Amino acid sequence: MSASSLRSFEYLEGLPGTTFNRLYKQPSTALAIFRRMLPHLAKSFVMALLYISHPMPVTDLEAWVRPDGRRERDNAVNLLERLHILAAATNPGKPRAYALTNPFAASLRLALTGGGNHHSFGVPYSTSEEDTMSITDLDEFARRQWEGVLGYMVGSTGMNIASEGVTLSQGVKILLASGRLVEARGKTVDITKDGFAFILQEVNAQVWTMLILYLQNAESLNMDEVDVLAFLFMLGSLELGLPYSKANLTQTQANMLEDLGDFGIVYQASPDSSYFYPTRLATTLTSDAGGLRSSSFASPADNNRGFIVIETNYRVYAYTSSNLQIAILQLFARLITRYPNMVAGKVTRESIRRAVSMGITSDQIISYLTTHAHPQMAKNQPVLPPTVVDQIRLWQLEGDRMKATVGFLFKDFNSQAEFQAPCRYAEEIGVLVWKHEGQRKFFVTRHEQVAAYLRNKSGKGG
Amino acid sequence: MPKAVKGVLVECDPSIKAIILKIDQAKHDYIVEDLDDQTLVVKESQLQRLKARLEEELSNTQQMPDDSASD
Amino acid sequence: MNAVDGSDHYNKTSDEPPPSLLTIILDTNAHAWALLAPTLPLSAAIANLLVFINAHLAFNNSNKVAIIASHTQRAEFLYPIPSEDDSRQANGSTHNGAQNGLDGDMNMTDGNEANYAATADDANHYRPFRHIQTTLLSAMSKLYKTTSPESLTPTTSIAGALTLALTYINKQSIAFSTTTSSKTNADPLLAPSDPNSIQPATLNPRILILSVSGDLAHQYIPIMNTIFACQRLTIPIDICKIAGDSVFLQQASDATHGTYIALTHPRGLLQYLMLGFLPDQSSRKYLVPPTAVGVDFRAACFCHRKVVDVGFVCSICLSIFCSPPEGAVCLTCGTYLQLGEYGGKPAVVAKRKKKRKKGADE
Repeated sequence: MSASSLRSFEYLEGLPGTTFNRLYKQPSTALAIFRRMLPHLAKSFVMALLYISHPMPVTDLEAWVRPDGRRERDNAVNLLERLHILAAATNPGKPRAYALTNPFAASLRLALTGGGNHHSFGVPYSTSEEDTMSITDLDEFARRQWEGVLGYMVGSTGMNIASEGVTLSQGVKILLASGRLVEARGKTVDITKDGFAFILQEVNAQVWTMLILYLQNAESLNMDEVDVLAFLFMLGSLELGLPYSKANLTQTQANMLEDLGDFGIVYQASPDSSYFYPTRLATTLTSDAGGLRSSSFASPADNNRGFIVIETNYRVYAYTSSNLQIAILQLFARLITRYPNMVAGKVTRESIRRAVSMGITSDQIISYLTTHAHPQMAKNQPVLPPTVVDQIRLWQLEGDRMKATVGFLFKDFNSQAEFQAPCRYAEEIGVLVWKHEGQRKFFVTRHEQVAAYLRNKSGKGG
Repeated sequence: MPKAVKGVLVECDPSIKAIILKIDQAKHDYIVEDLDDQTLVVKESQLQRLKARLEEELSNTQQMPDDSASD
Repeated sequence: MNAVDGSDHYNKTSDEPPPSLLTIILDTNAHAWALLAPTLPLSAAIANLLVFINAHLAFNNSNKVAIIASHTQRAEFLYPIPSEDDSRQANGSTHNGAQNGLDGDMNMTDGNEANYAATADDANHYRPFRHIQTTLLSAMSKLYKTTSPESLTPTTSIAGALTLALTYINKQSIAFSTTTSSKTNADPLLAPSDPNSIQPATLNPRILILSVSGDLAHQYIPIMNTIFACQRLTIPIDICKIAGDSVFLQQASDATHGTYIALTHPRGLLQYLMLGFLPDQSSRKYLVPPTAVGVDFRAACFCHRKVVDVGFVCSICLSIFCSPPEGAVCLTCGTYLQLGEYGGKPAVVAKRKKKRKKGADE
C-alpha cells in the first residue's frame, strides 16, 4: 500500500458511519474504495461475499484462510469493519456470520454489472467544436499547473523560480498553508518539513495528499464532504482525453472544478463552459503505483523525462534548465556549477544529513533519483550505482540513534499466566512491539483490541 | 489488575539511553517507565523536546568528520 | 530534529502485489452447451463470466484479461480482438498459434477506437467494463455466425487455445517488464521452475479454463506439452469443470498448482468463480485452495489415443502404447523394442512358482 493511500485511509477511517452510508450510494465510489483502499486479501473476501445469498459463518471464513495467514485475515476483516464494508451479525440460533453492508454491496454489484441510473461514471459530452483538447495538450496543462504549485513551495529555498506564467490562486496558497506544507513568514513563504517530504513524493501521492487537504478544508468552506469525495472518486473513473458534461454535477462539484483546475487535475476552457476534461492527474487517482508506472505522468518536455546522471564518485549531473528541478535537487545535493542546459554537483554526507534533518528520508532521495534517472542510466541494472545507494542509506542511519514508537504499555499483571495470554494475543494481531517476561510488561501500538481481550477475560473469570 | 499507560517506546543504544537519563535527571519530566538498558517509555508530549535536547547533547560531544572537500 | 530519530525512516515500504493477467479459455462447443441449456444456458454463463471478469479488473487498475474461445475446430481470441488487417492471417493460423508469439505479428490493442466511440455514452457503467462487454458479446456472435453446421463436432480445441494463451502471456509479460524498466528478470523464460518462488514485480499470469466437453484424448500430446510449458513458466492453470469429465485437465491443474473445481451445481457458476477462481497468486498464499479429491493420472496412448490404466512404454522415448506396436517398432522413434516375455504371467507370480514360468516360456 503506497504512502498516499495510507494517508487517505486514515482520513476515511475517521469519518462517521452515516457519511459512509451516503458515500457508498455511488457505484463509482464503491469501486474506487474497493480498488484503491483495500488490501489484497480483503478484496478476495469482499468478492467472495458479494454474490452470496446468506451471511457467511465466521467459522467458514476462518477455515478458508490458512493457519499462517491469520494475521492477514484479522487485518483484512478489521479494516473492512472499520470502513463499514463488512459487518458481523449474530442472529439467535445461528452462528455469528459476516455479510457485506448494504449500500456498499449493492453499489459494487451495480458497478460490476452496469445499469441503474446513478450517472456516477461521468456523462460524456459530445463536442463538435474544433477546440477539442488532445491528450498531449492536457498533459502539458496538467504539468504546468502542478509544477506551478511545486514551484511556489520550493520557491522559498532561495532559488529564483520563474513561475512559467502560472499564477496560483489564493485558494491554493491557503490550502498549502493550512496543510502545513508551507509556513507564511510575512510576505514570503517557508517550506516545512512535511513540505519537503511532499515534494519528493510520486506525483500520484502528491495529488492525494493535496486532495485530502482539500477535503479537510472543505467543511470550513461549507462544502459537503460526501459530495466532494464522490466527485473525486468519479474523476478517477473517467477516460483521459474525453470531455465530460457538467450538467449532472451538484453545485458543490461545479465549484470544485475551478479549484481542481488550479492544480491541473481538470481542464476547462472557461469557468462557464458546459464541459470539462479530466487530465492524467485525475484519471490515475484510483490506480495504484503499478498502474502509474506503466502510464507514467510524462510529458514530451525535457524536464519530466529522466535527466539525472549519478556516478560512483557521488557526482551528479542533471540535464535540465528547469529551476524547479534544480531547486529540488538542491535539497539533497551540493550543486557546484550551472551550465545553460545542465547543472553539476555532488552528493555529500553533509548534504544528505541536511536533507534528513529537514525530514527527507534516504528512500525518498533514492526513489527520486531512480525515477528521474537519465535514459542512459536507466539502462543499467540496477539503475543507481549500489555504492551510492548504500552510502546514502548509511549517512542517514548514522544519525538514527533511537527508534520511537507511539503506543501503550501494559503492566501490573498479577501472574505469569495472566501476562502471557494477552501478550500472545497482541503478537498474533500484530500490534506487539516489545515485551519482557520477567517484568510482565509489554508494549503495543494499538490498545483497543488488547483491552477488549482483557475485559473479556476478566469478565469470564469473574 | 493490569494497567495500560500511554507513551512512546524508545529503543536505543545503552549509551544514548544514558544521555536520556541524564537529561531526565534535572526535572524527571520525560521518562514514564524505565524498562531495560535499551528501552524506555517517555511521555508522548515531550518526545520532540527530548529529541532536540538529545541532538544538542550529541552535537556538543561528537566531532563530525569534515567532508567539505575535494572538488 | 529527525536526525536522531530513526522511526520515521522505517515506514512500511510498498508491498503491493503485482498486477495479474487472467487468460480465460472458454469452451464454446455448441453441442455441450446445448446439453447444458436447461441448467445453465450459454448466455447466462457469459453474463456470469462478465461479472467475474469485471471483478478481476476491479482488483487492480493494471490487471489484464484475455478471453480465448476454444471452439469446435479452432481457437480464437474473443478479447482483445486482433485488429482488422491482421485478423485474416490470424484466423488462418490459429490452430498452431505459436507462430504468432514473439514477433508481435498480431497487433492487438485493448482500446479499439471504433468500438470505443460506439459505446461512449452510458454514464452508468464503468467504461473499461463496458468495453469488454461489448467486445466479448460481438466476438461471440461473430464466432457462432462463422461456424458452419458441418464443423460442429463434439470436440473442442483446448490445445490450440492453450497455446494461444501461452503466446499471449509471453507477449504481455515482455511488454510489462519493459515498461517497468528497473526490474530484473525481464525474460520470462528465465523464470525459475520452482512453482513456490514468487518473483518480484512481474506480471502474475494465470489461465482459467471453463470446460464443458469431455473426452480430449486425441489431443493428449499437445495438451501435455502446454501443461509442461506452464509448469516451467509457473503459470497456474485453473479448471472450472462445468460439465463432462476429462482426465488431462485434472492433471493440468495438479501439475501447475492450479485449482480444479468440478461444478456440482452449474447454476451457481458465479459464486464458484468468485470464491474459487478470483483470488490471484498473491492472495492464494493465504487461502486454503478448494481441493480436488483425487487426481486421475492416467495417460492416453500414442497409437489410438485411448486413455489407459496400464500400457507399454518405449524404453527410448517414453512413448505410451495401449498394446505392443506392430512389429515391435516404436511408432515415435522407430526403435525396435524387445518385448521380452510379453504374454507370459507377470514376473511377481512367476518368481514364486518357478516351474510355471518355464512352462510359459515354451
